[in-house]
Amino acid sequence: MSAPMIRVEGVSRSYRRGVEEVHALANVSLEIETGRFVAFMGPSGSGKSTLLNLVAGIDRPSAGSVIVAGRRLNDLDEDELAEWRARHVGLIFQFFNLIPVLSARENVALPLLLTHLDRGERRARAETALRIVGLSDRVDHSPKTLSGGEQQRVAIARAIVTDPDLIVADEPTGDLDARNAEDILGLLRRLTDDFGKTIVMVTHDPRALRFVDLALHLDKGILLEGAEAERAHQAITLAAGGALTTGAHSVAP
Amino acid sequence: MKYAGFVFANLRRNPLRTALTGGAILLAVLLVCILLTMPEGLDGFLDNIASDTRISVHNKAGIVYPMPYSFTRKVRQLDGVAAAVAQTWFGGAFEEEGRVTFPNFAVEAEHVGAVWPDYDIPQKQLDDFRRYRDGAIVGRGTMKKYGWKIGDRITLRSTVFPLSPDLRIVGEIPNSQAPMVWINRELVDQALRAGGGPGLGFAGVIWVRVADPNRVNDIMRTIDDMSRNSEAETATETEKSFFSNFFGSLQGFARIILLVTGLVALCIVFIAANTASMAVRERAPEIAVLKAIGFSRRVIFGTILAEAVLLSAVAGGLGTALAFLLTRILHNASTWNPQLGPLASFVLTPAIFIQGLFLALFVGMLAGLVPSVGAARKPVVQALHEIF
Repeated sequence: MSAPMIRVEGVSRSYRRGVEEVHALANVSLEIETGRFVAFMGPSGSGKSTLLNLVAGIDRPSAGSVIVAGRRLNDLDEDELAEWRARHVGLIFQFFNLIPVLSARENVALPLLLTHLDRGERRARAETALRIVGLSDRVDHSPKTLSGGEQQRVAIARAIVTDPDLIVADEPTGDLDARNAEDILGLLRRLTDDFGKTIVMVTHDPRALRFVDLALHLDKGILLEGAEAERAHQAITLAAGGALTTGAHSVAP
Repeated sequence: MKYAGFVFANLRRNPLRTALTGGAILLAVLLVCILLTMPEGLDGFLDNIASDTRISVHNKAGIVYPMPYSFTRKVRQLDGVAAAVAQTWFGGAFEEEGRVTFPNFAVEAEHVGAVWPDYDIPQKQLDDFRRYRDGAIVGRGTMKKYGWKIGDRITLRSTVFPLSPDLRIVGEIPNSQAPMVWINRELVDQALRAGGGPGLGFAGVIWVRVADPNRVNDIMRTIDDMSRNSEAETATETEKSFFSNFFGSLQGFARIILLVTGLVALCIVFIAANTASMAVRERAPEIAVLKAIGFSRRVIFGTILAEAVLLSAVAGGLGTALAFLLTRILHNASTWNPQLGPLASFVLTPAIFIQGLFLALFVGMLAGLVPSVGAARKPVVQALHEIF
């Protein structure tokens, strides 16, 4: 059996907000295998974004360890983490955050500036990534001439252009209408199915349950398990009007 | 170099702001370059009008105090003195203007040509100056200013003596940067005597031309020794030093202007730094994302700093080029407009050109340093927290 892509062991994360000590995560442990599409779900303040940041190497835990693609991230400093993210992680954000003065192709090629590829190779890879997300006819468009869905596709192309081990998405459908949200979720699913990518996503969107392999529920910094996790899962399904057909299961780590 | 496109793209983000910031830097560099030409320009101006082998002798108490005219003859007889001429401020106002608008002096007509051979006054004109007691030799600048020509008659009303002689222009000093008018000392002397006075028994300045440049210091010392313990002790200096002291206040003024210009440049640094900080603040979400996708602190710092330095370098380059162009135009214009005076000597040397470019780079570095350090230092998680 191969090693999991992500292993989180007894991780806690707390920080100070003024004089108050906030415990964002408490003793969380989980494993995610390679090639899985996983959603972190839960109410606001549940710690799902904190967990996502730890897994993405954006933040470091106060206690416990985070091992991704065989590397213990606790051991890396800020610059080493940046270099590690550039090689191993593709990031997708809710608000796309494309550079407005660059074309779609230039935006996608940005992470490749951190590699040793020459200009021609960077250009070719960016165009390939845009073709994968269905935007081969929009390569020279600036972000402001693209729809929200198209901008998020460009952001996804930017996330996959370096062929990362892990794709991390923070509310990728949060700023999209229903049809575009489904398109984006379908695209992420395809990245797992066709390219074997491991994707971890934070979302409030109950539609995501139809696309992910696994949904992990958090509440007040704790990863829910067993009956509690099942209840949270059912609540989301019911909130979606009961019309949701889902193959995703909430599982204990 | 692979980040160049990214840096250029960021500069195009807000063309108006880029243009205005660049314009401010351009003007500051232009101003500093022009002012930096002043000290050298004044030196060049002095080189043009003054000589190291010509010395001035004046009363130690100051040039407004007279010396006995007889002292001129003693100086002229000294070994090593090629020529000497007594010069006395006449203070003549051109009758149409009613005030003194150009320097005018009573000089010894027979000696003036030998003291200023470098002025290249034609011999015939010097002969006429000797021949006609009412003759006057006028600097080219003043000739052009009033539209005078040789043969014209002018009247100068002296503000020093009770005289208003009617003068005949017999010659021109070809040096366009010499505005003075010389009138015949004999005319003044005889007119004063005719009025019942003692005549012009004194001189304001005695100009001496030394034959051998190596003996200038010896002769200066000898002249001052000759007058020691007399009623009018002298202070002797080279013509260049004399004019340099004369322009001393102007150079002091130039230093003040340079100081003010330095402060203006500092203001531009603050303005540019503020603008760069605003631009970086506006891009906080993008910078946070760049950090998240793996851009290191060094790359973030470098690209933001490069943006500020590139803008400053381009603006500074244009500023120095414009300063060069402006000084060339002034220099060329001086050939038909002698009133430009010292302005024509202000030349942008390669050293000033480099100083201008360095100033621009300095402005860019300082302006870009604060926002780039701030953006680079902020941890990625904090940067993301602030925007999402």
